[in-house]
Amino acid sequence: MQTTGILEERKSSILLKNRKGSRAPITCDRASVAGAVSQRACVYCGARVVLNPITDAFHIVHGPIGCASYTWDIRGSLTSGSTLFRNSFSTDLREKDIVFGGAEKLKAAIDEIMEKYAPKLIFVYATCIVGVIGDDVEAVCRQAEKTYHNRVIPVKAPGFSGTKSQGYKLACNAILQLLAPHENQPKQNGINILGDFNLAGEIWIIQNYFREIGVPVISTMTGDANYETLIRAPSARLNLVQCAGSSLYLAQRMEEKMEIPFLKVSFFGIEDTTNSLLQAAKALGDKETTARAEAFTKEQSAKVRAAIAPYCEKLRGKRAAIYVGGGFKAISLIRQFREMGVETVVVGTQTGKPEDYETIQSLVNPGTVILDDTNPAELEAFIRKTHADLLVGGVKERPLAYKLGIAFCDHNHERKHALAGYEGVVNFAQEINLSVNSPVWQAVSSRTI
Amino acid sequence: MGANLVQLNVNPCKMCMPMGSLTAFFGIRGCMTILHGSQGCSTYIRRHMATHYNEPVDIASSSLTEQGTVFGGADNLIRGLENLIQLYHPEVIGVATSCLAETIGEDVPAIVETFRQKHPELDAALITVPSAGYSGTQYEGFFRTLRAVVSQVEMDTRPNGKVNVITGMISPADTRWLKSLLEGMGVEAILLPDLSENLDGGHGDSYSRLPMGGTPISEIGLMGGARMTLELSAFQNKDTSPARVLNEKYGVPFLRLPLPCGLAATDALIRELKKLGGTVSEGLRKERERYLDAMIDSHKYNALARPVICGEPDFVRSVVGLCCENGAVPVVAATGSDCKGWEESIHPQIEKAASVQLVKRFSVLNDADFDEIEHAARENGANLIIGSSDARRAAANLGLDLVRHSFPVHDHVGGQRLRMLGYEGSLQLLDRMTNTLLSKRNSRFRGEQYEKYYRGAKETSPPDETAESLALRTAKHPCFTCAEGKYARMHLPVAPECNIQCGYCVRKFDCPNESRPGVTSGILTPEEALEKYKRVKEKIPNLTVAGIAGPGDALANFPETSETLRLIRAYDPDVTFCLSTNGLMLPLYAQELVRLGVTHVTVTLNTVSPETGAKIYSHIDFMGKRYYGEEGASILLANQLSGLKLLCSLGVVCKINIVLLSGINENEIAEVVRTVKQLGAKLTNIMQLVPVKGSAFEHLSPVPNRKLADLRRECGKILPQMLHCRHCRADAIGTLDNDRSIEFREKPQQKSEAPLRFAVAARDGKPEPTCEADAIPEQKLSGHGIRLFTTYDKMEHAVKNGAKQMTGGIET
Repeated sequence: MQTTGILEERKSSILLKNRKGSRAPITCDRASVAGAVSQRACVYCGARVVLNPITDAFHIVHGPIGCASYTWDIRGSLTSGSTLFRNSFSTDLREKDIVFGGAEKLKAAIDEIMEKYAPKLIFVYATCIVGVIGDDVEAVCRQAEKTYHNRVIPVKAPGFSGTKSQGYKLACNAILQLLAPHENQPKQNGINILGDFNLAGEIWIIQNYFREIGVPVISTMTGDANYETLIRAPSARLNLVQCAGSSLYLAQRMEEKMEIPFLKVSFFGIEDTTNSLLQAAKALGDKETTARAEAFTKEQSAKVRAAIAPYCEKLRGKRAAIYVGGGFKAISLIRQFREMGVETVVVGTQTGKPEDYETIQSLVNPGTVILDDTNPAELEAFIRKTHADLLVGGVKERPLAYKLGIAFCDHNHERKHALAGYEGVVNFAQEINLSVNSPVWQAVSSRTI
Repeated sequence: MGANLVQLNVNPCKMCMPMGSLTAFFGIRGCMTILHGSQGCSTYIRRHMATHYNEPVDIASSSLTEQGTVFGGADNLIRGLENLIQLYHPEVIGVATSCLAETIGEDVPAIVETFRQKHPELDAALITVPSAGYSGTQYEGFFRTLRAVVSQVEMDTRPNGKVNVITGMISPADTRWLKSLLEGMGVEAILLPDLSENLDGGHGDSYSRLPMGGTPISEIGLMGGARMTLELSAFQNKDTSPARVLNEKYGVPFLRLPLPCGLAATDALIRELKKLGGTVSEGLRKERERYLDAMIDSHKYNALARPVICGEPDFVRSVVGLCCENGAVPVVAATGSDCKGWEESIHPQIEKAASVQLVKRFSVLNDADFDEIEHAARENGANLIIGSSDARRAAANLGLDLVRHSFPVHDHVGGQRLRMLGYEGSLQLLDRMTNTLLSKRNSRFRGEQYEKYYRGAKETSPPDETAESLALRTAKHPCFTCAEGKYARMHLPVAPECNIQCGYCVRKFDCPNESRPGVTSGILTPEEALEKYKRVKEKIPNLTVAGIAGPGDALANFPETSETLRLIRAYDPDVTFCLSTNGLMLPLYAQELVRLGVTHVTVTLNTVSPETGAKIYSHIDFMGKRYYGEEGASILLANQLSGLKLLCSLGVVCKINIVLLSGINENEIAEVVRTVKQLGAKLTNIMQLVPVKGSAFEHLSPVPNRKLADLRRECGKILPQMLHCRHCRADAIGTLDNDRSIEFREKPQQKSEAPLRFAVAARDGKPEPTCEADAIPEQKLSGHGIRLFTTYDKMEHAVKNGAKQMTGGIET
């Protein structure tokens, strides 16, 4: 056995952009390879991260304590209303529940919540073992809805039942279930924003833009959403889908069921933010709005270009490695780096789809390493090989970047400053600069004592 | 939260068993671990550990799929082992199980045996540990793993004179201290696990993805031949104790000691090490002396500490010990584990410390969640929390500082470097606690003392009320005395905001025609209120009372309320001031109200039971935070009662309004009346419910009038009753029977020659929807000189914007 960084089974998920520029297929959207130390989470996680930002819902994890403990207040989504979602509720199944079943415990928990809080909306996440021990979670939820005339929506998300993407789909189905009784609403002039989770107030930034150009935002999914705003979603004329990996499926179903067309957008980087705003304005078919959007994006782009120019000076020629959750973010980041004069040399995603990888291939330079569902060993090998100066990723990747002596940008749950919109472009440039050009790198490469 | 949901774990003060298990494996040299289960378990644990330790945390997963769950996951585990060996080339492999693997009945030792046979060339040691998440917390997982290690590693039982030292999940920095203590005392020891390096590594020339610190397997193999095992954990039993295995299997005697934190526990360890031949250096003695000196220096500050201590059983026990020996009184000690013998070991220590400081209440909570901890902390008057970052939300809710310690600390840096063991480590933790208290006190005491004692010329002093003048005012107040329309009052709608949501209330700010509390035709600024007062006073000479009755709550808009009263008092020194409130902010503003010259106050108080309150009030907003259910109702009630008492003691005449709610508070009315009488209220007003459309009690039927009359009669025996209430608007003017407010409404703007008139067609149903805005034929309308103007603004803004467009941009 050898200690190289690449397993045989993983080779088809790794691609080198070739010189000719033709596109090659990559193995993606599959279960992780056992023992490969994937950075992915699970089905439950996918469902939880999409639904958890719904602020006034009770999110109950039905299962043993771990899953609730590790996803408590995950994402750090901000709220303008209820803070209920920032709590962690679990039926905390113990050994005896595994033997005798946990359905009674779940029922008692829902009864108690209804008696004390009477919320309009409860999500029940069933984790790995719930199905195995035979709890009929759907029946408990159905019965509760009958008794209390509120919404109690089961999300059957055992971790083993697919990848994180499967969890996204379950979350989308839960939202569709919530919307079902409200599907037939007259349409009004306005949009829904799907696939933004209001990290560091990003949905507010985007809402402000739409206010500026005169496009009403009816519902946001799921950043800073609540029961009342969600059920108005079917009245929108248009859906914008940002995080396509998690919410494209929802947009597609909403188009079928509620006749709401959708646009895939991204609010990361000047180029993508501008294009997204213009597209949305145009799609609503109103000349004045489009004119306002054109004026607004022109003004903002110019302002932001000027603001980041001094940073770009200092970053030109640097090499970036990207490893993020979904395809849309990777694609936006490649463009954003290009705007800043930074070359992407490694790019990968946890849950990208074949079409995402096609786009990625069309954007990157020959020689760029493209990875699906990679692991620390591969990241280490390719970061070393490509001499990347920085890594964009989530918190699990941060210590690795630092051990390898390169800069890091957290583009995931933990961030406390906005990276979306025009404001985000400036924050991003600042963050990359402060890490890449920090004096600590000189210190660590200095001669030892 | 704080409602103590008993059927759920609300905000866990614990993690799952695999977390402890995987952490323990990080204390073994060259060890790589695989978690047999879903992919997510290992990822979550890695993420949790990476944020605390700021180190790469590589843990493999067998990535069980649906198929593996149904047909068994042996293939996945075997392939996973092969892959991780190829990537990491480990010396030791830990195989832990998740909930899923245990529930589907995976026979992991058998699978591992198959793997060994398949790979005879393998020289790595394989250690398996069953660690279903539901069988316990990370605390039990950690020790079970150590137990599995000493049970499964092949031992050289020849006596070697070494001492085994076994610890729980202590920080890498504390581990380094423990190693240097053993070395310094000259005790040859085998430390298991050794977390000093792998989870707190340096930045060297090269990075090895296989953790190369930790206890070598060769050393572990000598533990069976040691002369003694010291197990530094107070709560291990036969299922979890590694020392016991070494004793039963290899005859190594053992001693259990608490973690060496604080003087007593550190002394105890050092004495034992001395017995084992260790020597105490001058440096160590000096360290102890410095700790003693610091104890004295800080004891007066520490005596004021009332900490909440939460976390793993050993951690809490040790920090309780540290606090108690320094005179602090832990008022809540809580662990998320269900730990036998733990309460009994904590209780006497705190009881002793509490008796010195005359502290009456403290709680020792086994198997607790943060909901319970928060509740107990509030009840027992805690002033500090010591625990992991998981306590930060509870700390924020309680308005307390958190001294972060133990695992996980993921919102600060340096969790891996925190110290609490030994004299020096104890002192570091103690200093952090003391300084947190000092900072808080130093930054607050000026303001607090000022608020408490300063009574100087902050405001113009109120007119001197004598008993006679006050009685006269009461006699001339139409609500407090039924004087058959002789006197008039006016309500000044300057208070739009409300800080509680009552089930019967819907506030409307632009409503001309409903007659009930909470509605007004418009909101006035204090200056506008004065102008209106002047106009009314001119037309209604028998106006004796100016009051503020919403439409929200007078005290939730205190700047407006006080400014209005100040302006009117300057204009009319004789008028009687009255206001109504829900009482939430009364304790804060009672003094101020008296200074402003308020002599009559009505408090709406519907119940004296938080349980009932939770049914009436959906939430309250207090000090920047929203509280729901019983928690909100309790805060409201406490403030209503204490505020009422204060107000009455200051000589203010208080009336209590009670809204009668069928099936909710109808049987508690007499109790409310009795309670408020004790606090000094002079009058109660039991009111019929006005079921308002859109309110939570929209469909609640009012109690029959006969029942109301009976109740009033019955309660009349306790306290005088107001029987002539007319449920007035927030902008009512005149006598109770003749609301003349309509005469004084603002006339339409006269600036443009022809006033603009708006027809509003709204879609979202706020005013009754009449038609679809875009369905109105625009041309037809314009033929009549009507312009169509579509907007998504709120009504008041929409009309304003429309007017602006019509007048070509002139503000109207």
